[in-house]
Amino acid sequence: MATGPTLRPRAPWHPWLMLAPTLAGLGLFAVAPLAVAAYSSLLRWDMLTPPAWVGLANYRALARSGEAWRAFGTTLLFSSLVVVLTTGLGLGLALLLSRPGRFAAFARAAVFSAYVVSWVSVALLWMWLLDPDAGLVARAFAALGLPRVGFLTDPGAALPTLAAVTAWKITGYAMVVFVVGLQDVPRALLEAAALDGAGPWARFRFVVWPLLRPTTAFVATSSLVVSFQAFDVVRVMTQGGPAHATTLFVYAIYEQIFLNLRVGRASALTVLFFVALFALSLLQFWALAARARGAGRKATPPRPPAEAAPPPAREAAP
Amino acid sequence: MSSLGRRAWLSAAPLAAAALASAGCRRDAEREGGRVVVSLWFSYGGKNREVLLELVRRFNEGQARVLVRPTYQGDYFEALAKVRTALAAGVAPALTHVVGEVVPYLAEAGVLEPLSGYEGARDLGLLPPLDQAGSFDAAGPRELFALPFNRSVPLAYLNGSLVPAAQAPRTWADLRALARDLTRRGGGGEARFGFEVPISWWFWAAMAVQAGGELLGPAGEPTLGGEAGVEALAFWQTLAHRDRTMRPPAGRDYNAWQVTNQDFLAGRAATIWTSAAFLRYLEENASFPVVAAPLPAHARPAAFVGGTFFVLLRQAPPAQKEAAWAFLRWVCGPGPAAEWAERTGYLPVSRGAYEQMLARGFYEKHPNDRAALAQLEAAHPWPWRPELFRVEREIVEPRLERAVLLDEDPRAALDAARRAAREDG
Amino acid sequence: MRPPRPAKLVADALTALATAAWLFPYVWMVLTSLKPLREVLERPTDLWPKRFDGGAYAEVWAGMPVGRYFAVTTAMALAIAFLQLALVLPAGYALAKLRFVGRNAAFGLVLACLLVPAQATFVPVFLFFARLGLVDTMAALVLPFAVSAFGTFLVRQALLNVPDEIIEAARLDGAPEWVIVYRVLGPVVRPTLVSLFLLSFVFHWNDYFWPLVMTTGDRVRTLPLGVALFREQGTGVRWHVVMAANVVLSAPALALFAVAQRQLLRAIGGSYR
Repeated sequence: MATGPTLRPRAPWHPWLMLAPTLAGLGLFAVAPLAVAAYSSLLRWDMLTPPAWVGLANYRALARSGEAWRAFGTTLLFSSLVVVLTTGLGLGLALLLSRPGRFAAFARAAVFSAYVVSWVSVALLWMWLLDPDAGLVARAFAALGLPRVGFLTDPGAALPTLAAVTAWKITGYAMVVFVVGLQDVPRALLEAAALDGAGPWARFRFVVWPLLRPTTAFVATSSLVVSFQAFDVVRVMTQGGPAHATTLFVYAIYEQIFLNLRVGRASALTVLFFVALFALSLLQFWALAARARGAGRKATPPRPPAEAAPPPAREAAP
Repeated sequence: MSSLGRRAWLSAAPLAAAALASAGCRRDAEREGGRVVVSLWFSYGGKNREVLLELVRRFNEGQARVLVRPTYQGDYFEALAKVRTALAAGVAPALTHVVGEVVPYLAEAGVLEPLSGYEGARDLGLLPPLDQAGSFDAAGPRELFALPFNRSVPLAYLNGSLVPAAQAPRTWADLRALARDLTRRGGGGEARFGFEVPISWWFWAAMAVQAGGELLGPAGEPTLGGEAGVEALAFWQTLAHRDRTMRPPAGRDYNAWQVTNQDFLAGRAATIWTSAAFLRYLEENASFPVVAAPLPAHARPAAFVGGTFFVLLRQAPPAQKEAAWAFLRWVCGPGPAAEWAERTGYLPVSRGAYEQMLARGFYEKHPNDRAALAQLEAAHPWPWRPELFRVEREIVEPRLERAVLLDEDPRAALDAARRAAREDG
Repeated sequence: MRPPRPAKLVADALTALATAAWLFPYVWMVLTSLKPLREVLERPTDLWPKRFDGGAYAEVWAGMPVGRYFAVTTAMALAIAFLQLALVLPAGYALAKLRFVGRNAAFGLVLACLLVPAQATFVPVFLFFARLGLVDTMAALVLPFAVSAFGTFLVRQALLNVPDEIIEAARLDGAPEWVIVYRVLGPVVRPTLVSLFLLSFVFHWNDYFWPLVMTTGDRVRTLPLGVALFREQGTGVRWHVVMAANVVLSAPALALFAVAQRQLLRAIGGSYR
């Protein structure tokens, strides 16, 4: 197995030519924007009149109004809900559906299908289902004698509702990853445990779960990072309301620049957003390293960390 | 991918890149079949959209010089965001319509085309309370920037089968009592609220003035109605949380307005406040008689004229602006303006249109439209201030929403708004 | 080892429940789209339409240029996916196989950019395109995604496992580097490329955020954006029409999923391995 670049380029400029478009693109669309955002965050500019230098005033204003903190807190709460739901459901569904047979395969495909459609599709669908007067869920609640809930209109219910809808869409991804993880559990260990008299629950607890921990960490941190960037659901379903209850970080940035025309504030929020995201992504890398370490403890030969693909920073967004 | 396919692809790549690049080129005054194409960005939905599109179609068919191409852009605020974004990006259309409160900001920013110099600008015969000069106070400019098209007033709509027209509330106290009478509790489909209104600056500002306040102080500082503003907000809170006769509708912005209409039509709200713009829609879709009345008064009757103005954007090529002006002149003429008013519920913007409708006996047959005219008599001008729109959207409306939904202290909410408005720039 | 019967029944019941929870919403969407307005207003939760009515679809077609939006969206997604394929191969090859000064720095940059999502860059990129007059054009939708840090990384990993002998042999045969990259190594890492293509195509076809931010008018509006905007019309929420638009939006993705299910699942699972 190769361990690194080993060939001499045929001309010294070859590698650079091959990398040029990619590096240029990344520089232009990933690196430079961050620098520009940092600079813009020190301006006051509405795009229609000339910009003005205001130093750290935008950050101060964000701090004073509590807006940055609110965006961060709301998003963190949202992400936590999504992570718990997605990881729990994903694991449960993987355990339930990783058996052979067409029924299970069909079920897996059904669960995963939500992952393949647009966020707009999912959002519109659930807006109809959750309509407080005419939606199926509301009618079911009424039939069961439960109180009327404004799923998207009650400031207390809106955020958990969005989290649930988000989890509904991405649980399929978690399930598939868990299925892969479950397949990595050596049959020999399971059979040995069964021979020792361990029932299904004990087998899960003492054989499967420890081996699944790195996978779980991966799924959890991936969901965390993906949900931290959520925007579409908010924009389509609640537009950040009611009363800013669902104003997630990216929506806050969007609101500042496109609705309020405040480039400076939007850029300041962008800088803060990136810092938070960076910290969360480091968490993700740590989880990956844990997986590699965990792999080392198994009976199977360990894989070098470099081989494991880091989870994408966006929802499988190449 | 086969190697042959790859080679074919690789040779196509430069062509594709060139195509992509050319797709980015700015177009000059577009022409189609010899006509100048004018882009019109609009934000009406439903019935009003149909009427607009028909008027546009008729204009296009009636002459051979100009082709107006309408594009739907979402509700007023969504569309405005796109217009401002497009202005910043240099891809703005020639013609669009914007809410009245943002006209000062756009005019002062220099993005609106001055209209006085265009042919026939001075003799359009627009009705004074509705045009630019009449809609704004004395601080407004002499130059003409905006032409009224869909101008509306807030109206109180009553379910005629529950409330006879004579009982339309005249004062806040009347409204409170009526709402109490009409509210029916009960689970499932039995519940009915006496009153519903979208939590919007437009209604709150009217109430603040009704309670005797002014939005700006003598020196132009944003007083937001002072005590009267607090009283107005507190009134809503009382109805919603103490009396429990008012339903704050779900959703934001125009979602809330749609829900209000739907609740009224479905009998879930006995009376609502919304725009005269929906008059025809409500009349046609209700299974009960619809009674419209001016908003109740408090210390005095008052309302702000709402709706939008058509504006030409300076950025557009001159040929497009000329062509757009041709459309504007036509659509503000008596015939089209009357048709627009009759078919939607908006007010007729030109004197000629109004007289036509009078002569036709329109107002005898449509007492609800008379109510809109009556409301117009209590119209209050907006202050011509560039910060007006920012104060409305960014500062006041979110706080109104919070205060009503969460029953927060109204004085604290408005104090915070005043502070934010003052320090802002 | 046969599981005992009660457990199997429970498992089957739960499986059915899971399937229903994820499939029924879509079934409901289709059923709603086939109802006439009266039924949606008066009996919204009746399962089966009393009268099947295609009026909602007629309204969708009349209310927005479905065909054009669909074509634009597909063209955009294809352009992005193809461009990515073209660029990740040489970049991945250089990073995997070639020894040169600055290699680590270049690889570090690629890794670092994995952490930078579109949501963090859209404000400056929008301003950049605005300055160039490219807002509301295909270029603004496609170019930012022509390079893919994620794809570059995947291809690099895949190429690390390819024995050098193949490359050396091709060099001895006199093949120029670009032939080696595209015509020799390309087929070797075909599964990775297919996965990348599929993931990329689906993600960008469904993308709502970037077209929302980068377009203002109708010129290059994509279908997700058009459908979302469609809901905002109207003086009352007409759910049957909204659901019809939603069917139009979801059908292509679901059709693709039905056809390419195995490859898609492998792409997701494989990117984890």
